[in-house]
Amino acid sequence: MRIKQYLPVVALTLLLSACGGGDPPPTVVPTGPTQAEIDARNDSIAAARAAEAARAAAEREAARREQDRLNREADQARATIEAVVLFDYDESVITSAAERILRQKLPILQNNSSLRLRLEGHADERGSTEYNLALGSRRAEAVRDFLSGFGISGSRFTTTSFGEERPAVNRSDEVAWAQNRRVAFVITGGTISASEDD
Amino acid sequence: MLRFSRDGMRMMRGFVFGAIVPLLVTSPLIAQVDSIPGVTLGLLYESEFQPALAVQPFLGSLGGESVASQVEAIIARDLRYSDRFEVMDALPGSLVGDGVDYQLWDQLGAVWLVSGSLERADPGFVLVLELHDVVYGEVHEQGRFQVPSPDDEDFRLAVHIASDAVIEWIYNEPGMAASRIAFSLRTTQGNQDLYLIDSDGENFRRLTNYDDLTMSPSWSPDGKRIAFSSRKTTGLPRIFELDLETSGDKMLDAGRDGDHNTPIYSPNGRDVTFSITGGNRSGIFSYDMERGCCLTHLSGGRWDDISPTYSPDGRRLAFNSNRLGTQYPQIYVMSSTGGEADLVSPYLFGQGGYYTSPDWAPVGDHVAFHGRLTDGQRGRFNILVADVADQGRRLRQLTWEGNNEEPSWAPDGRHLVFVGDRDWGTGLMVVDTATGTYRMLRRGIDVRVPDWSPSLGWAGLR
Repeated sequence: MRIKQYLPVVALTLLLSACGGGDPPPTVVPTGPTQAEIDARNDSIAAARAAEAARAAAEREAARREQDRLNREADQARATIEAVVLFDYDESVITSAAERILRQKLPILQNNSSLRLRLEGHADERGSTEYNLALGSRRAEAVRDFLSGFGISGSRFTTTSFGEERPAVNRSDEVAWAQNRRVAFVITGGTISASEDD
Repeated sequence: MLRFSRDGMRMMRGFVFGAIVPLLVTSPLIAQVDSIPGVTLGLLYESEFQPALAVQPFLGSLGGESVASQVEAIIARDLRYSDRFEVMDALPGSLVGDGVDYQLWDQLGAVWLVSGSLERADPGFVLVLELHDVVYGEVHEQGRFQVPSPDDEDFRLAVHIASDAVIEWIYNEPGMAASRIAFSLRTTQGNQDLYLIDSDGENFRRLTNYDDLTMSPSWSPDGKRIAFSSRKTTGLPRIFELDLETSGDKMLDAGRDGDHNTPIYSPNGRDVTFSITGGNRSGIFSYDMERGCCLTHLSGGRWDDISPTYSPDGRRLAFNSNRLGTQYPQIYVMSSTGGEADLVSPYLFGQGGYYTSPDWAPVGDHVAFHGRLTDGQRGRFNILVADVADQGRRLRQLTWEGNNEEPSWAPDGRHLVFVGDRDWGTGLMVVDTATGTYRMLRRGIDVRVPDWSPSLGWAGLR
């Protein structure tokens, strides 16, 4: 066994000697595998393990990404559902900007028939405290009527009004007032699933 | 005839000696605002004669000495706040003596003189109050009043009752000293609870501790209960009734969805009438508190009716509605059993007039509310009073600066409390509709929807 192992070494030595002219033949000392060989082998094993780990990680990553995508879609759907709609001063008419926001809610409401919402109407601080309760109420009803017009059952919504008492922005200027004249959407029942069925 | 000549003499005396007698106060703004055809809008303060009234230092005997000056100070300020007199500055007892020197007061220009003495009784004190006719040099009226000791919570109210007696003796009209104002205060978290304050700005105290949205207090006619709306139990606005003696509250179970807001008692104290919005059927409903049942629909439709208020005889209701189809609310009057409603606010299509928060005066056909005449006055409101008998054609504007909202009548049918916002301060303000005099009742940017109690002269004391 030993001889066999050393044979190529001896042969190589002889060959080199033949070319080298008069140099003395080097001393051939029989040894174990070189460090390089050990390293190479270990590297190989590590590489295989790394490849396996990477494959597993990739699979996990793919699964995670899919879950993320689903979560993101659900979050987006939830955000779309919860997006407030704004109103003009002293008005309960659905503006074109509000209509765009409401139309984005439609497919989610259609695909998640268990979903129940509370529509919370708000007014800005100008105007009477008590009449603003009515104004907020009317805004919430305008939203319900709009969604009902697209076949979403009105029984899936309850409405309530906070009047001017719960501003989104607690300041007294046009920017704050515009943010405060709103209907907010609160999920009171059912879940939003990312899949298309329900 | 004798009465007439006496009054005439007092009047004359007032003009001769009275310090500041407001003559005919005709505002320069009277003709300026006439933007609604057929509606006269003006600050038509009456040329009311204000007689000079003096208060003689009150006497105390048998242990009543210590409270005499306190009682005197409360009564003197009440009479000043009544806005019916020129209340003269107090003079020291050493100057005027113990007895009533009509000649001295006559020379000082007083028409009326109030004197009082306190005697220890068990419990508390007895106040003997005298109203003197200085012109004729005689006692005009006299009364005895039970007054508890000053550390009793009813001490001030008992003294206010005596103040109101003076008003009644002279004018045969109710006063408003013995009354309180309920209102809500907004916290930084956006919640509201109910509070009380006496008509003279004293005794500010918290009434509820629900830490939720609790608002629109409304006194029962006997002054013993307060109705209000709150989200505290169901998360949605419901009507509650608070018993002021037991501090217990109960929810009115109307059995209807929607938001329940703005309660008011009928003058007989039997029904609580309120607004429902956002439910299957919105409008004004009344509920029989005595029987604990029988929700009755009085008005409503595809619009919102809110903030009902009864006429003193209970036969009519004024309320707020946007039933004309525009976004701006108007004031209407209808029978308290429902039916057709008449517009009383000065509506003109397209002008953006906005009128809200009506309150029917305890006497007469006057409905106070706040509003703006045109769209150009966004967010700026003034206190207005419409003569309902004249279908709102005669309209008085009581405020001309800042922002002014949520008026509520005092039991004297003459003063109004409202939420006022001025350069110099914001809070609950009181205006005298006869003279236009203002005073700040309580400062604070967080005050909401006050309701002035009926006279508590007979209900507040146990």
